[in-house]
Amino acid sequence: MREIITKPFTGMEDEALICGRCGYCRSACPVYNVVGWESATPRGKIAKAKEIFSQGKQTELSAEFVQRMAQCTLCGACAQECSTGIDTRKMWLELRKRIAALGREPKAYKALRDNLQEKKNISNFSNDERLEWAQDLDDPAVLKPRAGAAVGYFVGCVSSFFPQAAQVPLAIAEIFSKAGVDFTSLGGEEWCCGFPLISTGFVDEARQFIRHNVDKIRQLGIHTLVASCPSCYSVWKEDSREALQGYDLEILHTTEYLVRLIKEGRLSLQEIPETVTYHDPCDLGRTSGIYDAPREIIRSIPGVRFVELPHHREQALCCGGGGTLQSVDAALAAKIARLRAGEIRSVGATVVVSACQQCEQMLTAAVREAKMPVRVLDVSQLVLEAMD
Amino acid sequence: MEKLKQQFGVRATDSLFECGFYSRDMAPVPSLLVDPLFNTRPDIVVRPVDAVETAGILKTAFADNIPITPRAGASTVYFNSVPVKGGIVIDLNLIAGIEDIDEAAMTVTVRAGTTWLELEKYLNPLGFALKSFPSSAPAASIGGWFSMMGYGIGSIKYGSLLSQVQSIEVILPTGECRWLTNDTKPPLAWFAASEGTLGIITRLTLEIRRLSSMKHFLLAFTDVGEMRRALESIINAPVVPYNLHFADKRYALAMQSLGFSPSDTASSCTLGIDYEGSRAELDIVQNMIIRLFGDDRTIRLFPEEEARREWTGKFNALRLKRGGPSVLGGEIWLPVKTLPGYLADIKKKADCYGLDLISYGHVVTRERAAVMTLFYTNETRIGSYILDLAMVKKIHDVGYRHGGWPYGVGLWNTPYLGRIFTLPYLNELRLRKQMLDGRGIMNPGKLYRAPFFLNPVSFAVGMGTLAAVRRITGRSGRR
Ligand SMILES: Cc1cc2nc3c(=O)[nH]c(=O)nc-3n(C[C@H](O)[C@H](O)[C@H](O)COP(=O)(O)OP(=O)(O)OC[C@H]3O[C@@H](n4cnc5c(N)ncnc54)[C@H](O)[C@@H]3O)c2cc1C
Ligand code: SF4
Ligand code: SF4
Repeated sequence: MREIITKPFTGMEDEALICGRCGYCRSACPVYNVVGWESATPRGKIAKAKEIFSQGKQTELSAEFVQRMAQCTLCGACAQECSTGIDTRKMWLELRKRIAALGREPKAYKALRDNLQEKKNISNFSNDERLEWAQDLDDPAVLKPRAGAAVGYFVGCVSSFFPQAAQVPLAIAEIFSKAGVDFTSLGGEEWCCGFPLISTGFVDEARQFIRHNVDKIRQLGIHTLVASCPSCYSVWKEDSREALQGYDLEILHTTEYLVRLIKEGRLSLQEIPETVTYHDPCDLGRTSGIYDAPREIIRSIPGVRFVELPHHREQALCCGGGGTLQSVDAALAAKIARLRAGEIRSVGATVVVSACQQCEQMLTAAVREAKMPVRVLDVSQLVLEAMD
Repeated sequence: MEKLKQQFGVRATDSLFECGFYSRDMAPVPSLLVDPLFNTRPDIVVRPVDAVETAGILKTAFADNIPITPRAGASTVYFNSVPVKGGIVIDLNLIAGIEDIDEAAMTVTVRAGTTWLELEKYLNPLGFALKSFPSSAPAASIGGWFSMMGYGIGSIKYGSLLSQVQSIEVILPTGECRWLTNDTKPPLAWFAASEGTLGIITRLTLEIRRLSSMKHFLLAFTDVGEMRRALESIINAPVVPYNLHFADKRYALAMQSLGFSPSDTASSCTLGIDYEGSRAELDIVQNMIIRLFGDDRTIRLFPEEEARREWTGKFNALRLKRGGPSVLGGEIWLPVKTLPGYLADIKKKADCYGLDLISYGHVVTRERAAVMTLFYTNETRIGSYILDLAMVKKIHDVGYRHGGWPYGVGLWNTPYLGRIFTLPYLNELRLRKQMLDGRGIMNPGKLYRAPFFLNPVSFAVGMGTLAAVRRITGRSGRR
C-alpha cells in the first residue's frame, strides 16, 4: 500500500509566506544536523526565498544562498515535520528551477545537464553500453528489447553504468529468470529517467527524456514496468503522467513486484540466519509512500531476525546520497551517511538492506569507513541469497 | 571577536550572509520598522558545545563589554532571541543530549539545547514521560522554555516548568559556572522567565512521570458561556485533566475551511480535554464526562477518534497560517473566568475594525489560560501590514480590560511592562539584573524597560494613530 501525505502546494511565493519559521523542520534536516548553521535549515532557506521571490529582493540571490540550496538531499524529512503543511520538497525543486532559469545554478549542475544531453545517461559512457552489466548473466540476451514482454525492467543509470551497483540488476534479472517472469528492458534505448535534471532545476530538459522513455515503452507494447531505482520509479509514477496519458501502464517498484512474486508462490526462500535491518530510501518512502513491501519481503525470509532502525518509515534518516548532493558537496553527503551508519551500529544488525542502489553505495562507504562488520545489500540481493 | 573566531574555527562566523539569518525570530516585522531602530544583525555567531566553551565566550564578552544574545530554537516571536544591539549570538543547539535518568528520584538531567520532543521520544520507550511541554515541542528547547514562561501542555495538572525543575547549571555573565537549586543564592527561580538576560543555562534536572494511558474528549458548544461553565466543572472535578484547550467559532471555521477539522464543529466553540493516568482513573473520567455532558442536547460530544485527532495535532496550531499567508496577533495570560467576556469584546473589536479575529488557547492553571487571538494579513503589502500591526495593541487592550496581560516580554511587549508586572516586582527584577549583570551584557534591550521608541506613551499614540487611519481608510493587509 502506498501512504503519501498529499499537501496542497499553492506556489513557491505563497508557501514561503505561509512558513511560520517555527523550526519544526530544523531538527529533522540531515544537512542542518551536519552543517549546524541557521542558513542550512529549511526555515532559513525559505526565509531567504521569501525575501528574494515573494518580496522581490533579487539582490539577495547570492552565491552562498545558491550553495545552501544545492546542499539538500531532497529527502523530504522537512516536509514530513512541517507544522503548516508545506510540501518543502516541492519548494526546493521549484527554487532550484528558478535559480536555473536565472542562470545561477552551480557549475556542477550545468556539467551534469550537458553530459546528460550528450550521453543520455549520467556516466561518461556511451548509452549503447547500457547492458554491459548483463554480460555477467548466464544468458545476457534475456534483456534484449523485445516487444510484447509481460514486464519491462527499467534499470536506471547508476545500476547500468557503475560497477559497484551492478549487483542490483544482476540479482533482479536472475530472480526474474528463476521465477519464470517474461521480462525485457529498453537496452540502449533506455535514457536517463530525467530525475537528475528535475532535481537540478532543468525541468523542461527532463521532459524530452521522459517522452523518449514513454515512447519506447509504448513501441514495445509493455504494460507493466518495474523500476529498481526509487528516483526513476517516482519519475515514472508522478512526472510521466502527462506523457503516459491514454496508455495503460502499471508502474511498480521492484519491492512491490517481488512481494507479488512471493505471494504467488513463485519464489522459494531458504533460511538466512542474520539480524537484518532496513534503511528506507527517501524517494521510495516519503516521496512514494512505499514502506511495507520491503519489510514484507524481509520478514518472509525464514531465519531472519528483523530489527527497525531508530528512525524508520516516515521518520527515516537520509543516507546523504539524494538530491544530487554528491555532485556539489561529496564530503557533506558522506557525513550524513555516517549519521545513518551510527544508527545501524546501534541496533546490532549484521545485514542492512535497502531498496536503492544510491543508498546502498552511500551506506557501504560509511560502514566500511567505520569498520563495521555489516553487509549492505539491496533487497533483491537478499532475496537472491535466500533462493540459492 | 577575532579571538572567538580563532578559538571556535568553523563553529564561529561573522559572515554577513550567515549573521543575517540570526537577525529574526518568528515575527515577520518589516525591516522598514526594525532596521532604523535596532541592530539585529549579530557581529558574530558562535556555537559552543558545552558549558566550558560557553563560559569562555562569556568571559571574553564580559571583559570587552560585548552584548550577548542566547538563542536556541528561536521559536519565540518577541525578538527574545534576536539581538537589538549586535554583538555575539550564542547558538545553543549543540549543547544537546540527555545525560542521566534517576529512576529513584524520577528526574532526568538534560542539556539545555535538547528539544522537548527529543526528550519525550527518549523517555517514552523507557516507560517515562514529561510532566509538561510547550505546544512547540518539536522546535523549543528545554533551556528556552525554562527561560520563558514555561506553561503549556500538562501544566494544569503538573504546574509550571519552574515547579518541576530541581537544579540548573548556569553560566553567569562573568563566565562563572554554577549549579543552582531553590536553596542557593541566587536561587534557580531567578532564571525562570528571565529570557536570557541573567546568564546561560547549560543543563537542567527536571522531574518526570511514569508513562500512562490517555483518554481524549472533544466537546462542541453553541455558546461561549456554556463552554466556560463546562471548563469550570472540569477544572474543579477531582481528576485534573492533563490538557485543556479551547477554540472559538472562528477557529473552528478556519480549520474546517482548510480541511483540518470536522465540518460539524464549524458553528461551535470547541473544548478538547485530555486525561492521563491509571486505567481506573480514566474509567472515572469517562463516567464523569458522560454524566456532566452526556444528556445535554446543546453540547456535542464527538467520537473519541476525533478527540484523539485533535490531540495528535497538538503541535500544529500554525496550520492556520495556510489561510493567511501571514498572521498577526497577541497571546494573553487571561483569567479563565473572564474568557466569555474577553471573547465577546474581541468579537466587537472584530466588527468595529472589519477584522476576522480567531481565538484559541490552553487552560494552564486552575485560574489562568494562555489565549492566542490572531487575524490574517499579508506582509507583502507593507503599508496595510503596518496598519494591521496596530490591531495587535487593540487585542492586548481587550485582554487588559479582562484582567489579562501579554504572555512573554522580549522586545515587542516592553510597552506593556506596566501591565505585566507590578512596579515593586519589576523593581525586584531590575535589582536581580543589576546584581548579576551590572554591565548589562546579557540580552540587552529586553524585559526590564522599553526602549525609547517603545515607551508606553509614544507607543500608544503611534498605534492609536495607525488604528484610526486603518479604520478611516478601511485598509488592511488581507484585502
Ligand atoms: C506553534 C507554537 C506553539 C508554542 N507553544 C508554546 C507553549 O505552549 N508555551 C509557551 O510558553 N510557549 C510556546 N511557544 C513559544 C516558544 O516556542 C516557547 O517559549 C519555547 O519554549 C522557546 O524555546 P526556544 O528554544 O525556541 O527558545 P528561543 O526562542 O531560542 O529563546 C527564548 C528566550 O530564551 C533565551 N534562551 C534560550 N535558551 C536559553 C538558555 N539555554 N539559557 C538562557 N537563555 C536562553 C533566549 O535568549 C530568549 O530570550 C510556542 C511557539 C510556537 C511557534
Ligand atoms: S529535503 Fe532533507 S536535506 Fe533538504 S532541507 Fe529538507 S530535510 Fe533538509
Ligand atoms: S516546519 Fe514548516 S512552517 Fe515551520 S519553519 Fe519549517 S517550513 Fe516553516
